[in-house]
Amino acid sequence: MIEIKNLCKSFGDNQVLCDITETINEGDKVVVIGPSGGGKSTFLRCINCMEDPTSGSIIFEGEDLADMKVDINRHRQNIGMVFQQFNLFNNKTVLENITLAPVHLKKMTLEEAKAKGMELLARVGLEDKADVYPSTLSGGQKQRAAIVRALAMNPKVMLFDEPTSALDPEMVGEVLEVMKQLADEGMTMVVVTHEMGFAKEVGSRIFFMDGGKITEQGTPDEVFNHPKNERLKEFLSKVIM
Amino acid sequence: MNFAAKFDVFWELFIERGGWKRVLSVGLVNTLLIAVIGLLIGIVLGTLIGAVKVMPKYKLLPRILDKICTVYVGFFRGTPLVVQLLIAYYVLWPLMGISIPPLETSIIVFGLNSAAYVSEIMRGGILSVDPGQMEAGRALGLSYGTTMLKIVIPQAVKNILPTLGNEFIALIKDTSVVSFVAATDLYKTFTEIGNVRYEYFMPYLAMALMYMILVLLISWGIKVMERSLRKSDRN
Repeated sequence: MIEIKNLCKSFGDNQVLCDITETINEGDKVVVIGPSGGGKSTFLRCINCMEDPTSGSIIFEGEDLADMKVDINRHRQNIGMVFQQFNLFNNKTVLENITLAPVHLKKMTLEEAKAKGMELLARVGLEDKADVYPSTLSGGQKQRAAIVRALAMNPKVMLFDEPTSALDPEMVGEVLEVMKQLADEGMTMVVVTHEMGFAKEVGSRIFFMDGGKITEQGTPDEVFNHPKNERLKEFLSKVIM
Repeated sequence: MNFAAKFDVFWELFIERGGWKRVLSVGLVNTLLIAVIGLLIGIVLGTLIGAVKVMPKYKLLPRILDKICTVYVGFFRGTPLVVQLLIAYYVLWPLMGISIPPLETSIIVFGLNSAAYVSEIMRGGILSVDPGQMEAGRALGLSYGTTMLKIVIPQAVKNILPTLGNEFIALIKDTSVVSFVAATDLYKTFTEIGNVRYEYFMPYLAMALMYMILVLLISWGIKVMERSLRKSDRN
């Protein structure tokens, strides 16, 4: 579904990603773990070109997203993204947040988008929050609304950039629950997270990233119970499971 | 000084002989026309310039536009408004072989001048909006322009409304120089009343009061607008 070939990314002289080649297949639930500064978020953000790769290619639906001539906006409509800081539009109500893109990009009429939005909001338990502004929501509610906003575009793949890192501990569960549901429905997902429990339970493939490379990958069982890489062993010994 | 006599003269000319009608229907109307339309032009043009200024610059077109805008802002902030009025009316229009009446000239020059200031205000306002808002819009597949227009600029405008109010107040007061190109504004109509008996004491005092009331009304209006725009912060 997404083929990443020789992906490199540098910020000035600082090389953050070195020569990553990976294929993400339909239905995969890829969970990216690793120490801070290892390039996890940059890797995720390169997939939909929120960061332009320095070199290499991202093949999605037969086109190379890293190519500046490709209409990136069209492809991003099929790649949902959820941010650490939620990034709900502050000047729009929750429902307007959800309907804005599908209606503006002519994927749906306003009525269809509203119906779809309400249906999705009901699924994450936020139907009573449709007409309020994001500033009145709790962190967990904001993140659930942000997930709904991405889902309203009917994306083929969802990217999650540390979706629970900015949340109070007691709100982490509600967001992970929504993501689990999504995984169960067969959504292709790439998740950068520090929630090892979630990685173990939901992930179909785990990438361990360190120093700009994916130094180990495998099933949750392989990575968590039989790690080979020294740095991974050290990392796992330090995180609370 | 005989205040009573000065007041009597003013009363006679301003009230009894109906001088107030011209002050309101011509002077005040023109002053407001120049300031309001000028500000509107300034906001539209200034927003465009502000948006160009914050555009990512790795393509050629934004770089060229940016240079043009820098020169534009440099000229309009670097010369006095009166000079710009004179240049437009006595140099530019004749050079272009067109004739634009004083009032329209004033509106155009005030608009162009205001755009330079508004662009800097707007640039600051856009930069004050969390970059995550732009990212979220782009991640959904919206273009840079659409996200700017629908998400970032509305939030920027809310942040800069008090400053924009200041700009409007400054414009209102600056209109008092348009008589340099023979436009008739509040200043001009009050001066005309003074000219009748060469008695300017009361007319100019009344004029000062009128400008002040105007500015106070506008400040109040801005406060009301601000409050209604803040409704998305808490409700």
